[in-house]
Parts: sequence; structure tokens; C-alpha cells
Amino acid sequence: MTLYHFLAVSAALFSIGIYGVLTRRNILGILMSIELMFNAANINLVAFNHYLHPGGLWGQGIALFVITLAAAEAVVGLSLVLSIYRTIKSVYTEDMNILHG
Amino acid sequence: MFSIPSIAFYVLSVVAIGSALVVVTSRNVFHSALALTGTLAVVAGFFVLLGADFLAAGQVLIYVGGVMIIMLFVVMFSQTPLDALQRQTNSQWLWGLLFGAAVAAALVRSFRGAYRAVTVVSEMRPTSAAIGRLLLGDMLVPFEAVSLVLLAALVGAVVFAQDRKVSK
Repeated sequence: MTLYHFLAVSAALFSIGIYGVLTRRNILGILMSIELMFNAANINLVAFNHYLHPGGLWGQGIALFVITLAAAEAVVGLSLVLSIYRTIKSVYTEDMNILHG
Repeated sequence: MFSIPSIAFYVLSVVAIGSALVVVTSRNVFHSALALTGTLAVVAGFFVLLGADFLAAGQVLIYVGGVMIIMLFVVMFSQTPLDALQRQTNSQWLWGLLFGAAVAAALVRSFRGAYRAVTVVSEMRPTSAAIGRLLLGDMLVPFEAVSLVLLAALVGAVVFAQDRKVSK
């Protein structure tokens, strides 16, 4: 169990998240994939903190900020989804084209 | 050869990657949300393995207990029975798959050269007191900035989600 193992797992989670963001039609699925990518980044921050700076805590502190900002992002994003759903009765991204030129 | 932490690491990795795959491939968004809850809980397990006890507790409280509840609420609010029959991926899924695989391969390759040998043995120590000192010391300015961001998110969520017809 070295630093490389944690980095490999987080790389796998991150690329699964990228795949989800690029391919999901449902906007809720896209939000969930974004959460996956945040968590991959958090694993990286904490793993670098643990292995390269065993005495320090800055990596964990920054990961705490990432969790907080991800929660704020999720709340605002989900309220936008609710508002969009009330207007066009759909959560699929190809229906959200009212602003197209 | 296999210590208990490394067995736990491999079990957690398999569960994390498996449930993450369910998140992006499941046809039913509700199942995706449940699988995402599992992934987030497993990430808390990784934090425990890395000696970050306070962060693991925060992950469970904020993500599993807070964000996922709101997400499940919105999923149940906006699902219709017809959604289970529809394709959930767009027409570019093959390119997305290739791009994701390329990103994974590039990341794993670059990490392998640099960090393969880094290993450390350290005992678990509680970190909450030190994190508190860090947040109210060196990180005071971002800490206060985050409270402003949270206030803005709170107000923004209320403004976006309110029903216009009620307020008239």
C-alpha cells in the first residue's frame, strides 16, 4: 500500500467521473459524476498529505474546503435543476435549448 | 505479506470503482444515487486508511448525510416512470469512453514513474485539534471566505428554488 496505489484508485474514479460528465443525458447524472471527480481530487490531496508531508495538515484542510464548496455547489445546482424541471418538465440536457441561437 | 490495512485497501478499491461504474452506467438515476452514496462512504474509508479521522467524519456527515439526501430528494421529485425506459447516455458515449480511458492511462502512467516507491509507516493520531488550530490560524482568511460562499449558496438556493406563482 504505497502512495501510488491511492493515486491509481483516484485516477480511476476521476476518469469514470469524466466519462459520466461527457455521456450522461440526465443532468442529475452529470451532477453525480462531478461529485465523483471532487472525491477523486480529495483522495489525492489527503494521500499526498499523508505520504509526502506526514507531519502537516494542509492537504486535509484544503480537502475540507473542497467538501464544503462541493456541498454548496450541489445545493445551488440541485435548486437550479428543480427550477428547470418546473419550467420545461424535463431533466434531459438536450431539452434545455431555450437559449440557443 | 498482506497486512490488514492493505486488505482493507483492496476491498475498498474494488467497491469504490464498482459502485462508481454503477453511478455512470445505471439506467435508473435512483440506483445511480444509491451507488454514489456507497462510493462516498468508501471514500470516507480511504480517509481513515490515510489517517484523516476528522475528514472521514466530515465526509460521512456532509456528503452521505447531507448532499446525498438533497440529491435523492431531487431525483425522486423529478423522475417519471418513463425515464426507466429511456437511454441514459448520449450518442457520443464511445468518444467519452475513449477520452476517459485516455485520461486514466495518462494519470496512472505519470504517477507510476514518480511515486511508486513512496511509503510511510505512521501510527493513527487524532487530527481534529490540529485541524482546528490550522483553520483558525494559517487558514483563517479562506475559512471566513468559505462562510461567505456558504451564505451566498444558501440565498441562491432559496432564490432559484422558490415558486414564482406563490410570491406574486
